[in-house]
Amino acid sequence: MSTVYTVFKKEIIDSIRDKRTLWTAVLMPILLMPGILVGSFKFQEYQLKKAEQKPALVAVVSGNAAPTLVDFLKAQPKFEVKDVTDAKVAIEDGTVNVVLQVPANFETELAASRAVSVQVQQKSSNVDSSTALPKVQAALALFNQQRVQAALIAKGIAPETLVAIVPTTIDLASAEERGGFIAGLLLPMFIVLFAIVGGMYIAIDVSAGEKERKTLEALVLAPISRLKLVMGKYFAVAATASASIILSLTSLTIAFNLFPPSFGSDTVSITLTPLTLGIMLAMGVILSIMFAGLLLSVAIFAKSYKEAVNYISPFYLLAILPVAIFAQIPGLKPTLAMFLIPGVNATFVMKDALVGMYDLAKILLTLGSLVFYATIAILAAGKIFSKESILFRD
Amino acid sequence: MLAVRDLTKVFGSFTAVDGVTFDAHGGEIFGLLGPNGAGKTTTIRTIATILGPTSGTATVCGHDIVRDPEAVRKNIGVLTAEIGLYDRFTARENIRYFGQLYGLGGPALETRIEELVRILDMGRFADRRAGNFSTGMKQKVAIARSIVHDPPVVIFDEPTAGLDVLASQTVIAYMKDARAKGKLVVLSTHDMAHAQALCDRVAIIHRSKLIALDATSAILQQTHAATLEEAFLHIVGESAAKQDEHTREEQHLQLVAKKKKSFGFRFRL
Repeated sequence: MSTVYTVFKKEIIDSIRDKRTLWTAVLMPILLMPGILVGSFKFQEYQLKKAEQKPALVAVVSGNAAPTLVDFLKAQPKFEVKDVTDAKVAIEDGTVNVVLQVPANFETELAASRAVSVQVQQKSSNVDSSTALPKVQAALALFNQQRVQAALIAKGIAPETLVAIVPTTIDLASAEERGGFIAGLLLPMFIVLFAIVGGMYIAIDVSAGEKERKTLEALVLAPISRLKLVMGKYFAVAATASASIILSLTSLTIAFNLFPPSFGSDTVSITLTPLTLGIMLAMGVILSIMFAGLLLSVAIFAKSYKEAVNYISPFYLLAILPVAIFAQIPGLKPTLAMFLIPGVNATFVMKDALVGMYDLAKILLTLGSLVFYATIAILAAGKIFSKESILFRD
Repeated sequence: MLAVRDLTKVFGSFTAVDGVTFDAHGGEIFGLLGPNGAGKTTTIRTIATILGPTSGTATVCGHDIVRDPEAVRKNIGVLTAEIGLYDRFTARENIRYFGQLYGLGGPALETRIEELVRILDMGRFADRRAGNFSTGMKQKVAIARSIVHDPPVVIFDEPTAGLDVLASQTVIAYMKDARAKGKLVVLSTHDMAHAQALCDRVAIIHRSKLIALDATSAILQQTHAATLEEAFLHIVGESAAKQDEHTREEQHLQLVAKKKKSFGFRFRL
């Protein structure tokens, strides 16, 4: 055990002195995850606010034939009525968002209490146009409602006669759960990412780096078993990657406390409870342990840093792509078999934890399968370190 | 102290060491001679247990290289041709790490490191990081780390390569001192003049086979040669030696071509 510790200690000191490891395992997780997450949430918040405050720009073609409607629209809050000559061009260049086409006999038909056909022109591929459409539709519905009410009152009928049901929708999700859902789209992916990136450089340094510096032969000459040697290196890689997970989660918690993302309302709140943080930490650490073995096994094939990076890049994509895809599919109900895919399983568990769902069976299945993969990875790394054809590959 | 018996190492279709047998004893400097590519380094690596023998075996201080490799490694100190150091560690830290791997620790290790710093004249750079060391400085640290556990058998592969005259003398003085203390020093080199000056007995390896084994003086006498170099040429024949050099160059070129060809398929278990 003391030999394993000797190797572990040496690799940790060596990696602390290495600027590359310091950058990828310490500075990047501290700065990048809070930076990107808080930054993107704040940006979304800003966009939402902007969209809310932005007035709907409406043009009524042949507007002088429908002064009642034009005056009504002008009186609506956050509405601007403009005159345009070409509806299509005006929507495209952003002069207006929605164009209403009214017939020349609008007022006479209205006065005769006959339904008037009004064409609403919008462009669904244009963001401003599609966000203004529901506002315009709501305003037109209100116009209808007011006309109907006035007509009923004039006839001595209570307007409520026409209403059978008044539905009220209540969202049972708490503000924390809604926030957790949003955080679940990005946060688990970052944890998987740092479990790999945090250990990447040290994994290369302790394996291919030994070959590049030409220290490997002297090292394997020492009277220690290859498995102990690998274990020491393995623990160093896993510890560094775990440290980067811990650092990133700590700095994220601080960032969320300092700049709470609320999306402009009090109905969404991203708060990491101790239990959620604990689950994410456990998943992150066990992922680091598993990836450490895989990274070591892959990097030992290489003769140099450059070659090792070439080998690791496809492996990195292979690990992160399914996570990125599965984490983003809305409403995906993962089957139990999906909890056997390394990385993806941890993502599902973390997503659940963020919305306050803790399914013990899924958590245990994920932990079990990750421990299984980690054991295979470390045994494989030990075997590979014993193969002279790989250690002394020319 | 070192008994090598019919040692053979085959890589694919190439036999790098072919049935080598010799004994070497404590209190002598034993030369392992031969041109580059003759099989010296593979012989050393096999004795040092970092490569497994294809057949045959060797014992170091009574420990078999196949059955008890860890005990063998405890009893030998090997200076390999590759003298890389941990660049972000000081000379002292490099030596200390290896000392710990050899099971040393505490004040005993620190005393030993001090002793090595003094013997190999490393005082000026012992506490500096190895990243900017010259070849000579690196070579000294590499020697120190290989003998930090004070082993009874020391195997040096080209120990004075890259060293200036003064540094070479330091290493030579260490080898003589080790011999005087009853240790076995195996010196592997292609530099015949160097070997002649130092070695009590020599084994000459040529084309993976042992072709001569005797006291240095006896070999010179038998071949009526003034130098080991002349003796070597006498034994293998001058034209055969030239032919060998051509073959080696050809093999090297073929290897380079093969590597280029197989570049896309190197990632395999």
